[in-house]
Amino acid sequence: MDNSEKIVKLPLFGLPKLWPFIKKYKAMYIRMVIAGIIYSVFDALYPLFNRYAINHFVGENTIDTLPVFVGIYLIITILQCAVNYINVMQCSKIELYMDRDLRNLAFAHLQEVSLSYFNRNNVGYIHARVMSDTGRIGELVAWRVMDVVWWGSYVIFAIVVMLIIDFKMAIYLLLLFPLAIIITLVFERRLLVLNRQVRELNSKITSDINEGITGVKSIKSLAIEDKIEREYKEDTYRMYKKSVSTARHSALFTSLMTLISTGSLAIVLWKGGSLTSQGLVQIGTFSIFMSYALGMLEPIQIVINNITRMIAVGVNIERYLELVNTQGEVFDSEEVITKYGDSFNPKYENFEELKGEVEFKDVTFKYPDGEEIVLSHFNLLVKKGSSVAIVGETGAGKSTLVNLVCRFFEPTEGQVLIDGKDIKQRSLKWLHSNIGYVLQNPYLFSGTIRDNLKYGKEDATDDEIMSAIMQVGAERILKKLKDGLDTELGEGGDYLSTGEKQIISIVRALLADPKILILDEATSSVDSLAENAVQKAISVVTEDRTSFIIAHRLSTIIDADVILVVSDGKIVDNGTHKELMKKKGEYYTLYMRQFEELETWNDTRTNK
Amino acid sequence: MFSKIKTINFFLKGSKRYFALAIIFVFLQVIFDLVNPKIMGYTVDYIVGDTSQTPKFILSFLNSLGDRDYVISHIWIISIIVVLIGLLSALSRYFFRVSNSIGGESLAKNMRDNLFSHILHLPYKWNDVNKTGDIIQRCTSDVDTIRNFVQEQLVNLVRMVAMIALALLFMFRIHVVLTLVSCFFIAIVIGYSLSFHGKVGEKFAKVDAEEGRLSSTAQENLEGVRVVRAFGREIFELERFKARNEVYVGHWVEMMSILATFWTISDFIKNALTISILALGAYFTISGQISAGQYVSYIAYVLMIIQPIVELGRVISDMSKSGVSIDRLKYILDSEIEKDPLDAIDFPPFGDVEFKNVSFSYNESLVLDSVNMSIKKGQTVGILGGTGSGKSTSMLLLDGLYDVLDGSITINGVDIKTIKKSELRQHIGFVLQEPYLFSRSLRDNITIASEKTDNDSVENAVKVSSLTSTIEKFKDGYNTFVGERGVTLSGGQRQRTAIAQMLIREPDIMIFDDSLSAVDAKTDASIRKELKRIAKDKTVIIISHRITTLMSADNIYVFDGGKIAESGSHDDLVSQGGIYSKIFDLQRSVQEA
Repeated sequence: MDNSEKIVKLPLFGLPKLWPFIKKYKAMYIRMVIAGIIYSVFDALYPLFNRYAINHFVGENTIDTLPVFVGIYLIITILQCAVNYINVMQCSKIELYMDRDLRNLAFAHLQEVSLSYFNRNNVGYIHARVMSDTGRIGELVAWRVMDVVWWGSYVIFAIVVMLIIDFKMAIYLLLLFPLAIIITLVFERRLLVLNRQVRELNSKITSDINEGITGVKSIKSLAIEDKIEREYKEDTYRMYKKSVSTARHSALFTSLMTLISTGSLAIVLWKGGSLTSQGLVQIGTFSIFMSYALGMLEPIQIVINNITRMIAVGVNIERYLELVNTQGEVFDSEEVITKYGDSFNPKYENFEELKGEVEFKDVTFKYPDGEEIVLSHFNLLVKKGSSVAIVGETGAGKSTLVNLVCRFFEPTEGQVLIDGKDIKQRSLKWLHSNIGYVLQNPYLFSGTIRDNLKYGKEDATDDEIMSAIMQVGAERILKKLKDGLDTELGEGGDYLSTGEKQIISIVRALLADPKILILDEATSSVDSLAENAVQKAISVVTEDRTSFIIAHRLSTIIDADVILVVSDGKIVDNGTHKELMKKKGEYYTLYMRQFEELETWNDTRTNK
Repeated sequence: MFSKIKTINFFLKGSKRYFALAIIFVFLQVIFDLVNPKIMGYTVDYIVGDTSQTPKFILSFLNSLGDRDYVISHIWIISIIVVLIGLLSALSRYFFRVSNSIGGESLAKNMRDNLFSHILHLPYKWNDVNKTGDIIQRCTSDVDTIRNFVQEQLVNLVRMVAMIALALLFMFRIHVVLTLVSCFFIAIVIGYSLSFHGKVGEKFAKVDAEEGRLSSTAQENLEGVRVVRAFGREIFELERFKARNEVYVGHWVEMMSILATFWTISDFIKNALTISILALGAYFTISGQISAGQYVSYIAYVLMIIQPIVELGRVISDMSKSGVSIDRLKYILDSEIEKDPLDAIDFPPFGDVEFKNVSFSYNESLVLDSVNMSIKKGQTVGILGGTGSGKSTSMLLLDGLYDVLDGSITINGVDIKTIKKSELRQHIGFVLQEPYLFSRSLRDNITIASEKTDNDSVENAVKVSSLTSTIEKFKDGYNTFVGERGVTLSGGQRQRTAIAQMLIREPDIMIFDDSLSAVDAKTDASIRKELKRIAKDKTVIIISHRITTLMSADNIYVFDGGKIAESGSHDDLVSQGGIYSKIFDLQRSVQEA
């Protein structure tokens, strides 16, 4: 996936693009910047106290002003501490509130974006956009900007103070600064690249470990432990090499910077020494230049390092904005929203009752990212309460029709009508609140079984829940569990088998009592006896409901009102079981194939 | 405590000398750094003309250069000394950093390699009780914690303590009372910082837990997006996410205000120390107890040790957290690895496989209860049974992934317990129901466990597995990268790849654990037909739910509740009218409908 850390350079670090989010916290931002600058001014002033102490007290051999001196110093210290507290709190709040807003916006957007977005991007990728990109952006807006303001203004004020105190000395001291800046820029760039390589190797090692653990059954049964170990050690060795070389670079960098600050100190000693040899008065000045010489380089490094990091956040900003700006192909029109409300503020009072007649009218469809037309001028009327089965080989595109009914996608041409009205004329919320969906891999959330069942109907009482459970014959599953309805399902619902999860998700759909039901049938992972139970549950839930069944086993759909046969993504045949068998077309072949072998086997046996 | 040291010591093999070097260099660096303030002080005193506090050897050195006027006009000599010392400090800093990170990286490599190697050689059952995520965390973040502990914290601690101790020594020699005042402040800062970091650890854990909750709320919502949409629960989801987000941010704001308070107070103590030294120092200088130069260098020392003192508390409290990580790694290393008995033998001449009264349980209840199976050499045997009937477990036992609780499994009369595990597994091919592919190319996956890697063998295995036409369709053919766990392939493609992976090894016993479930009936049949052709003298065991897959087997075992409920040929079983015939009718019923 596109998780690589490429560098995207945005003008002004992308801050203008983030302005709509920052705007809300303008006042905090101003407070933060002002407090930061005041803090740095104080910081740059401290050496002046040292100078005064040496020049006045020591130089003039008097402690007449000592109480005043201490008083002023303490006042400034207290002021600075207060300013610092304000600064840190404003900065933290901006960061955290921005994070929160960005996450909420992204999450809300994801509840509305077309489902095709989820087909194009995997969950891990999207999750990283919501959780980690937002964090890095918040950090940029708050701490990175703050650090630059903070240390940047320190450098500026310190230089100003030096120039005022002794112009000539200041110039001498600043001689080596350009060199320090150049070295920092060069090394920052190099280290950015090296660190990225180290991170990539690190994630390779993590996935090696993951493979070694999750693939343990295969590794052991193939007896390839040693081979896997050997390959792993190659990776850890590469990691070792790369990390050490990164460390060498950064060691060289710090050493060079140490050398430069020593150089500055030497210049101060040399020039300052000769300049001050005439008298004590200047010794204080001399000493404060020495402290500036030693203390100025770190802020410069910090500023440059922050700028590098700010540039690196560009890619996160891009990706985040791309997420929240993805409109997707399916959305409600203005008029529809005016009448029915949007997903988060639905106007239930305007929702018409859905009866359950579905019609495909001259529908032509191709997937947004596909080339091929998968439906061409397709017409089908599904009467209220009838059932449609969709059959075909794995990967033949059986979900297309369902995607259209659910309006996860919209027809390229033609219309899908529900109760005689184009579904685009009603809101997505209206449609979805009337549709039930049972997935092939039933997805249960963490939480109790009751929580999961209530997902279909929030205000369902225990009686309602129990009667739905009895209806599909799921009480057997419940009995097995220690805490009954209150049993906590772990990650992915580990206590239950696939068949059991399937049944629970059918109960969930039944509780929701949808007018239209979509069923993606269980595959072969469920054994015959369990399949039988699932089948029974399905027949209960589809009764008197318009239903679309994606069938993986033909045995289950013989009674469907219409059977659609899909091949290579196209609907090649439709009719009832009897009609299709008579036609001897694709369906007939598909149907007979299951038993081919039984017959060949019977034949060979008779021949023996 | 002692066992922790032992564990660390074990991992430190090979990296100790680098850390020793690092400590030597860090000492040198500290010493060079501490010399500078002295030079500043002597320079000041010399210029002022008060050399009463300057050591003799420095004075005689300066006198050897010339008289005072000469030296002052040639003060660049001192600059050169400063630069030289700076150069030495820079050099020792460089060598410190490099040897320290070589030490740290080889320590990390050592830990990673040892842990992974150990994990690979643990018995299979170890994975039943240990969660993947947890183990990965031990191998990654716990390793980093320990590396950090040694490379950053321990070494830093040495540096800080050396720095503070030496600086204090110099400071005491300048003025005792002044330094006692400094020590007073230092004690306050360290004490405050220690108690603070101890307390704040719990808060951090709380924030972490809250972040985990928020993160998994998002994760579940994204994974279950279709369910959310289909049930129209967007509002509910958004409200829940917002609420958790708010709680999380609230915790952080609270956390930050605690941290900000800490920073503010320690800043204040630092500044209080500085002003005390400035004022008292000025007083002592005027009263002639110390020279101007000593005053200057004393202030420089105070400024140098302030930061390390504040950090000391953090480092010490961080170090205490590392103990937990050491125990977490120790847990892995202490788990017993899979070992063959000393007198284990090679795989015997291949023959019949016999299950004799085999019982097995994962925890309390028996999964297999006195199972008897007799599988003749070269036979094809079918196994049918519901979920949890013990059919797969029996095969895991045969492959030596678990050991029998009771009874025995023999191959050609030899108990498999006495056969070397790797030998046993090399002679048994096991295609899992959900085959695990490795994130590398299709070809590498097929040949991963095989001695033969030539094109003919690969193509042949692929052909038998009905995978040829699929591979031809791939743009990169055999070089197609299958992704993590083989995600880029469909279930059926993964199964067929795993079959090819087994076939190329030509094992004596081939086990298919429901491994044709995701391919259609036609492909299923053609694979089995091909198998028959190429594997005449091999023993084939097929587990399946499909009667059509099983019925041509020489012998079929039906598992029910950990026991063999029925066995015999297809005809026998159908006529018996038991489970098998019931399922057969169920699957056949469609035809007659």
